Amino acid sequence: MSKENNFETIETEVSLGTVHPAALEPYRLRLFVEDEIIRDAEITIGVNHRGIERIMEGLPVEKANALTEKVCGICSNAHIWNSVLTAEKGLEIDVPPRANYIRIIMEELERLHSHLLYLGHGSEVLAHETFAMRAFSIRETVMELLRMIGGNRVQYGASIIGGVRPRCELDENRIQKIVEGMDFIETKVAEFADRFVSDPIVMNRITGVGKISQKDALRLEVTGPTLRATGVSQDLRTTMKEYEDFDINVITLSDGDVKDNILLRVLEIPETINIIRQAIKNLPKGPIVNRSWNIFDTDTIHNYIEVPRGRLYHSYRLEDGRVRGAIIRTPSMSNIGAMQLACIGNHITDAQLCIVQCDPCFTCTDRAIEVMDYNK
Amino acid sequence: MISTEILYPISAVIATLIIAFIVGSIIPGFERKYVHARIQQRIGPSVISPGIMAPIKFLFKENIKPNSTVPGLYKTLPIICFIVIFLILLFLIPQTYTITALASVIAIIGFLKVEEICYVLMGALSKSIMSLPMPFPDLVKGGLHLDSQRSYIEDISSKRAFRLISFGSFPLYLSLFVPVSIVGSVYLKDIVNYQAIHGPILFTTAGILGFIVFFVGYMILMNEYPFAILKAKADVIEGPYMEYASKYRAIVYFTRGFLIFTMSMIFSVLFIGLPPDVYSWKILINIAIAFIFPLIMGIISAFSPVFTNKQLYPTVIGTSLLGVLAIILSLL
Repeated sequence: MSKENNFETIETEVSLGTVHPAALEPYRLRLFVEDEIIRDAEITIGVNHRGIERIMEGLPVEKANALTEKVCGICSNAHIWNSVLTAEKGLEIDVPPRANYIRIIMEELERLHSHLLYLGHGSEVLAHETFAMRAFSIRETVMELLRMIGGNRVQYGASIIGGVRPRCELDENRIQKIVEGMDFIETKVAEFADRFVSDPIVMNRITGVGKISQKDALRLEVTGPTLRATGVSQDLRTTMKEYEDFDINVITLSDGDVKDNILLRVLEIPETINIIRQAIKNLPKGPIVNRSWNIFDTDTIHNYIEVPRGRLYHSYRLEDGRVRGAIIRTPSMSNIGAMQLACIGNHITDAQLCIVQCDPCFTCTDRAIEVMDYNK
Repeated sequence: MISTEILYPISAVIATLIIAFIVGSIIPGFERKYVHARIQQRIGPSVISPGIMAPIKFLFKENIKPNSTVPGLYKTLPIICFIVIFLILLFLIPQTYTITALASVIAIIGFLKVEEICYVLMGALSKSIMSLPMPFPDLVKGGLHLDSQRSYIEDISSKRAFRLISFGSFPLYLSLFVPVSIVGSVYLKDIVNYQAIHGPILFTTAGILGFIVFFVGYMILMNEYPFAILKAKADVIEGPYMEYASKYRAIVYFTRGFLIFTMSMIFSVLFIGLPPDVYSWKILINIAIAFIFPLIMGIISAFSPVFTNKQLYPTVIGTSLLGVLAIILSLL
């Protein structure tokens, strides 16, 4: 390794992507390696930019909200919920308690399917096909519950301004199916976790790989389970007023490696099931939507919520009932720095694993690029 | 009129090769459907899909011009691999034991080394689009390490293939010398005759250890998970095979099936003393072994993640030491 003009020259560059079978989404990964050990890494996104904020510009707020659901195929409900919450915050709309509980049930179901997808994808990148298949098999129950409530398996967003869609109302039959589904998932995930941690080869493969220190995580503004896996107890749900009736146990682990990232999500699954059970048990009676609200011009409204991958930010202002200046910031945007850092010092085969441990969603992160010239 | 002395061995060779072709074509489907899919509680593909229908489909696909520095050699390599494995199988058939120089353990090792070297060359000669610079200006936009040499992912495969030749295939070759040490001869004819009198080497202490070492070596040679470092999906994808399309990919598929069958036959000759003889009912035992090996391999691969150097080195070292122990025991 030589140093010229403050740039290290590293022996070889290996480029993976933008299309690669181990990556669920298009991104380019430049690995700078010496004897197959990664010395530096660079992730480049931007090949899947759809300009949703630009399309939202000038749309009626209801239509703009519906459009945010298309930002992500995994956390579609989170986007529409946060967008609706942003409007409700600006327009000072009260949401019926039952609607709030149904929203939380949907969001926690989404967290379940996202975490199970994470386990499946992580196992797939480890090349452990059997664990991957098991995770996807368990996830199928959640997908069916989401389809039952929301009507779709991917675009199942429940929220509308003032409440939830009428078809998302939970009758006794649906509640029973959710309860049975939670029992099934809890048992199966416990079995999965037991097998996973008892497998010496798998544990050897993931322990100490892709380590992110707590200091680096805070410096890089890492968010969500990836941050909690480094020992930082930070979960926006503990401060969100929507969750104020719920007992939430924030789980943290300390090593910040692939093992802890996987185990943290495994441990969050029973906690999520616990929240869903609380919501079912205390589900208030009453209307599911408040239609008595007026629209008026607002200043820019900001709102953060905790989604499966971390902190999600939406903001816009309303002019004549139309959305202006929409900005969406997804959790993966905060975690890209950590993904790059996690690769360093590991084997090339572990590069995708180090990225996957941060649960990336680059398609929804491809929002907008603003080039800042700090010299001017 | 052709005498029976000529007709007999020729027909035996042809019949054995036909059996090898049929069994070798079914084995990949058997492994996918009846091992992996059953373990993973899914239906899996049709049993004839991976080993028979896929190669046939590829035979009729349009070929692409591979991005290679020496395309002619690159396209020839799967054919060389196939011929090498064909030759190994040919000289495992008892009717060919008269050609003693080739019907020996040394010849088997030599042929297998040629097959391994083909992977090095395949990786070195292939430059797939999967690691080409993409249209957006990677280099223009700057970033760190501008002077790094840009590598194709097949180059990594090539280096790994070389590493496997250097030390990865030690267990397999050590295990091949266990019967040689016991019998005191490298010729297959002597090894088979010895076992006909003294019973299978497999049922000795050295033989059992040799079997374990052989099996690990077999999985490494087959590039099956967890030893699939040549074609790890997480980084090098298909590795050396990436650019093969059409009939060349079909040959790759056929070769793999043939190799699985041939390796099982090497085991049955060296450790059980049962050469593939179509004129004996014992050919059924050979066929059973040809299915048992992928069955065990499938079970192990279904429950294993891909190894990196951290796991591969200790496994190879440990298995090699076991192989050395087996040889020492066989000499005592």
